[in-house]
Amino acid sequence: MNSYRVILVLTALAAVLIAPLVAGQYWMSLITQVYIYGLLALSVDLLLGHAGLYSLCQASFFAVAAYTTAILQVRYGYPTIFAAPAGLAAGTLLAGLYGCAVRTRGVYFILITIALGYIIWGAFYRWASFTGGDNGITNVPPPTVLGLSIASQTAYYYFVLGVVILCAFGYRILTRSPFGLSLRGIKGSESRMQSLGYRTTMHLYMAFVISGAIASLAGVLYVYYNRFINPVAASFQISVEVSLMAIVGGSGTIVGPFIGAGIFLGLRNWVSSFFEMHTAVMGMVFIATVLWAPGGIVGFIERWRTGGRMKGQQ
Amino acid sequence: MHSSILQAINGISFAALLFLLASGFTITFGLMRVVNMAHGAYYLVGGYIGLTITRYTGSFALGVLSGGLAVIPLGYLIDRFLVSRTGENHLAQVLLTVGIAFVLGDVALHIWGGDNLKVPTPIELRGAIELPGGIIYPTYRLLLILFGIVVGLSLWLLYRKTQIGAVVRAGVDDREIVSAIGINIDWLFVLVSALASFLAGMAGVVGGAFLTLYPGAEWEILVYALVVVIFGGLGSLEGAMIGALIVGLLDAYGRWLLPEFSYFVLFGPMAILLLFRPRGIFGREG
Repeated sequence: MNSYRVILVLTALAAVLIAPLVAGQYWMSLITQVYIYGLLALSVDLLLGHAGLYSLCQASFFAVAAYTTAILQVRYGYPTIFAAPAGLAAGTLLAGLYGCAVRTRGVYFILITIALGYIIWGAFYRWASFTGGDNGITNVPPPTVLGLSIASQTAYYYFVLGVVILCAFGYRILTRSPFGLSLRGIKGSESRMQSLGYRTTMHLYMAFVISGAIASLAGVLYVYYNRFINPVAASFQISVEVSLMAIVGGSGTIVGPFIGAGIFLGLRNWVSSFFEMHTAVMGMVFIATVLWAPGGIVGFIERWRTGGRMKGQQ
Repeated sequence: MHSSILQAINGISFAALLFLLASGFTITFGLMRVVNMAHGAYYLVGGYIGLTITRYTGSFALGVLSGGLAVIPLGYLIDRFLVSRTGENHLAQVLLTVGIAFVLGDVALHIWGGDNLKVPTPIELRGAIELPGGIIYPTYRLLLILFGIVVGLSLWLLYRKTQIGAVVRAGVDDREIVSAIGINIDWLFVLVSALASFLAGMAGVVGGAFLTLYPGAEWEILVYALVVVIFGGLGSLEGAMIGALIVGLLDAYGRWLLPEFSYFVLFGPMAILLLFRPRGIFGREG
């Protein structure tokens, strides 16, 4: 890490730490949301940027974790210390089940994950007696950790920030480990990795489960932030939007998904404040990203800094 | 006993509708290697246009025809100027066509509003027919089965028994060789994508007459079409027929027997099938 990057990281860290002191309610809420969606986008990017798999059911793990936590807290009165890990476990367990999708590759994998995602959405939507149907679960209390209730917006901001920074460190270690490198190898050439003796499907399965766990963590953070959850959280739209965040920001990097989440959510909030057809505008952002910025913002800056000399983009 | 037969007919008529949508999706993939997630939006837009034409002219047949025809130029422009730029990168295609579907869906919401709209059917089709065995069934949905069979049969004959079909099949197998022997493959792509758009738009009008049209309908129907294609195997017309029947029947019985878990009844068998045949029943390796 050169001094340039150290300064950059320290400035960014200082900015996010003092943000609550200068930002109002609206911005605090938006930035917290960016962290949570950024984490979800990071889970997409573990598969997309590192393993070369495009999963469109990440919202399922996110929503299952959120629903489990919400139902345990609201309906059965379990404390956060039990409800949050249970939510995390439920989402990860689902990822373990859905992981069988890694038997397929390419377009089949994409289509299958879309279909698998719809099962969860359908279950939350139709199984109204348990999940509350369209209305979802409301009145989720603020989280209580070690006897301390994290009720204020600022406290929860710092809590989410702490979790996200820990995750980013863990993610960095993971992607630089032999396991992370083997995923990159599989993305580059699966047949070559197989001939080197790697059990590639097993590696991809592990990556899928870890990605599901990250998405579940984002789900738990989300339900305590939003204080309610409904089937929209499990929808296909969420899965597509977070994958766009990962790509807009820059696939295969750690900050990329968070930058992407910031751009996406910021743009959507801004556009929807004055233009009714904001879904159409977001659709155009999808189109523009694919056509003109497939490497995302980070790729764009990288290309600019290296003066057009760029490693081969996927 | 009565209800189970009734559900079977329900399932088959839904299968007829799904086949209209899934056949186009599967053949476009087979020939052009394009995953077009905007196919559901073609369905919705075609349906809405057909609805407007039917209201103005009073002719349902004209509505069905114009709903299909109106989507052809739309599909052509999208293919020609947007999708063609993604090459064979399926990830880019999915994101791009999802974006297109968002735009089309939002524009449709702006024009036709957010209410459930039903395409008006002619008086003659509104009643019910008594089938042998004393089952009373809506005429419209019975005719839909007939319509599905006619379209399916014509597509199959076109695909298997004509010169054009032979060229398309050759293109599915190896398009470089097809263009090397002097066949204009670009023209073939335009033709096939026009047919797929036409079928999707027509399906929108036909489906809108009993499922109604509303914002979000494009995704619901697309997912069913995807499951059809996953069951049958991408790129196979016969697979789309069988897949549509399986999905239609599973859905009808699922909704009847386990209404809260009908999605599991549909997707559970799909997941199990995938464990043994990841490329569907008729899917090929490669």
